[in-house]
Amino acid sequence: MSQNSMSSTVINHSNIAVNRFGYGARGDELAQAKQDPKTWIKSQLLPIFFNTTLPHSNDVFIEHEKYQKQKKQLKMQQQKQLENKSQSVNKMTKNYARSALRDMSVDTLNQAIHSSHSVSWRLLDFFSNHFSVSANGRLMVGLSATLEREAIAPNLLGNFADLLLAVEQHPAMLIYLNNEKSFGPNSRMAKKRNKGLNENLAREIMELHTLGVDGPYQQADVIELAKGITGWSVKRQGKERGEGFVFRAYGHEPGSRKLLGKKYSQQGIMQGSQMLRDLAMHPATAKHVCYKLAHHFVSENPPEPLLDKMEATWLKKQGNIKQVMFSMFDADEAWLDTAQKFKTPREFVISTFRVLGLNKMKDKAILNSLTTLGQQPFNAGSPAGFSDDVNDWLGASALMARIDWSTMITGYVKRKNTETMMKLAFGENVSQHTYQSVMRAESRQQAMTLFLMSPEFQRR
Amino acid sequence: MKNFTEINNASNEKSAALPRRKFIKMAGASLAILSFPMSSAFAFESKKQTVKNKIVWVLLRGAQDSLHTIVPTFDPQYKVLRPKLSTSFKSPLLSLEKGFALHPSLKNLHAWYQEKQLLPIVAVSSGYARRSHFDGQDFLESGKSDIDHDSGWLARAIDIKQKRALAVSRSTPISLRSSDSVNTWYPSNLKSSDDDIYSALAKLYQNDELLKENLEDGLEVRGLVGEQKRNKKKRQGKFIDLTKACAKLMVGEQGVDCAMLELGGWDTHNNQGTRLNNKLAELDNGLAELKAGLGYEWQSTIVIIGTEFGRTAKENGTGGTDHGTGSALFLAGGAIAGGKVEGNWPGLKPQELFERRDLMPTTNSFSWIGSVLSQHWHFTKQELMQVFPQVKAYDHVLLRS
Repeated sequence: MSQNSMSSTVINHSNIAVNRFGYGARGDELAQAKQDPKTWIKSQLLPIFFNTTLPHSNDVFIEHEKYQKQKKQLKMQQQKQLENKSQSVNKMTKNYARSALRDMSVDTLNQAIHSSHSVSWRLLDFFSNHFSVSANGRLMVGLSATLEREAIAPNLLGNFADLLLAVEQHPAMLIYLNNEKSFGPNSRMAKKRNKGLNENLAREIMELHTLGVDGPYQQADVIELAKGITGWSVKRQGKERGEGFVFRAYGHEPGSRKLLGKKYSQQGIMQGSQMLRDLAMHPATAKHVCYKLAHHFVSENPPEPLLDKMEATWLKKQGNIKQVMFSMFDADEAWLDTAQKFKTPREFVISTFRVLGLNKMKDKAILNSLTTLGQQPFNAGSPAGFSDDVNDWLGASALMARIDWSTMITGYVKRKNTETMMKLAFGENVSQHTYQSVMRAESRQQAMTLFLMSPEFQRR
Repeated sequence: MKNFTEINNASNEKSAALPRRKFIKMAGASLAILSFPMSSAFAFESKKQTVKNKIVWVLLRGAQDSLHTIVPTFDPQYKVLRPKLSTSFKSPLLSLEKGFALHPSLKNLHAWYQEKQLLPIVAVSSGYARRSHFDGQDFLESGKSDIDHDSGWLARAIDIKQKRALAVSRSTPISLRSSDSVNTWYPSNLKSSDDDIYSALAKLYQNDELLKENLEDGLEVRGLVGEQKRNKKKRQGKFIDLTKACAKLMVGEQGVDCAMLELGGWDTHNNQGTRLNNKLAELDNGLAELKAGLGYEWQSTIVIIGTEFGRTAKENGTGGTDHGTGSALFLAGGAIAGGKVEGNWPGLKPQELFERRDLMPTTNSFSWIGSVLSQHWHFTKQELMQVFPQVKAYDHVLLRS
């Protein structure tokens, strides 16, 4: 991207803390951060807790099993009845899975909108996207949103190795990337039931979750890791007790493995676990994940010194995510005083709701906003997740959709004072041109739309 | 192995310099007069040439399994490698020449084949030799030996011939990056804003080049497609709706010369039989809609359908296939001399496979696309060098005489 296309308004440190690292100002956050922006943003990195009344992945399995049973029973009834009732059963479980997905997606969005420590939610969204799962197929619709709640949030500020293990052993990831039925070619399972290896999860672990596509691995390593995690599976409802992750020893490839030149002679589940722990601490992983963090939070082209500092912290502090984030906040290169990034639809929608203080939006309206702007939660459609690159979000069609969305939203907030909103969002960091354009708008609604669509609000 | 390195030999090329804006300028419209409707925007250009040779580039993201799409029924190894998948077809395969057969879901494509408007090419590769979807796609879109995220082969091609392109997408895919003559369009279920909002924003963006350009482009396309109708219920972005809209934006005096469509969902690591059954039907129906929408202009159109790489020759342990290498390319359209199967079949015996696992590519996708460009858009060798620096076009006659 060319330098001259960037908004050149100089922004101060409190503005950077709130808008670049957080999800944008809510209430008087700019004033709170003003005294000591760095300390303020560090104090924002807090653990995340979820509403426990929403479904757990275990509940999703239980409901799924109910559906399967009912379907089976209905099959034994008469043909005519079957047609009528199978529709209602179908609807029922789909509704369960769909409402689980909707409620959990909205819960995360709402908490991010109302949070007084929004940087933590940015970080959760970052890792939820780093370990992207999509709601494809009946079971994944129900499961996809449980991954960030059950595996990512509890490990968000801890060591990356623990996060990695929790994610790769979670049913949502195991099913999404087809490991739950991947068995060693020489395992008892394969011999008895004619089942075999699936290398999908192993490849994406190395390419996307840890080393990165340019990392030092070969096809042979993909297969070795795939064999190392054979037997990492999910309990079958109705046939096994309980729900969730299970290690099937009889499906694990026997013998020792060699991954990236190192021998793994552990038995059973320990083999794959140790492989993942080593991958988590590999310098290529530090490099890959630190680059993604800096590219997400700070800049399209993160400065080398910033990356060096973050990687060094990763290797020194056992991949501790909180420490790595602190090293980012501590680096001067993260506080470049012009806007560096174009907000993703998710950032744009959340920051809009935060600054406008909209409390009455319906769940459906919030979700539809993201869908229509191209970032429907748990629908990236690829294990690489949504892009963090300006070229993938700033397009003609995308911009028109943002304008039309802003017009729709500002239709609800006609009574708000735009000048006050601008002050809350930017402080003094607004160009004369933008300020005047907004103030001279022909109507309150138009003023608010111009404010939301201004370069200062679109970029951070 | 030899084949593969040959088609993969390559040279370095640096990213193209940042271009000037052309889309708007070619339209003869300045921002001041940019308002609805923009009916005669491109009229001056179309008078020179009544029927324009068109190209549609369809990228199948996720590694489409060519062996499940163009089945080598003559190769005894096929059933050995794929005991489950080879028996998963729900209706009879649709036969092509040389013992190849199309997947039964591709009914329309097969009809085109019989009308000599479809040319399947087996065992191709872009020259990308690893197995990452995302790098593989970027490589195929960039068209250079090193992935350049800021410049795509189709963008360089339209710039050389001063053509205009449309990406049916919210933002510009890599294939069309680095040209000014590209616009994007994607359906939206939002109600359009009032014109005065757009004019006010045009003024607001005077110091932000990128926002300004995208607004201009957005207004331009909206002027052509007309205002959005609000449709809450319909799912956005179904392939058949995209191809229909794409055709609409390509026909007539204002129509663009070239368009890009994308369709994902091909990463079939499990349950491949059922998934491809549905997915191929979606592709087939969408392309039929494109043809219908293009009307008589289909006669001067070539559709290029490709994917980043193929999948393993052998089925995996879960009723699917893993990431592979050699894949297939489809050329279709009224301008194509089809009705035959191109490409050299490498065989499926272990020693004939790439790294003893994937279909060995024997020809290069970019060389085939280069042939399309030289025959359909009259590219010289020198011009083609700027599009695909590392490969030469094949001499095969691809066009209907």
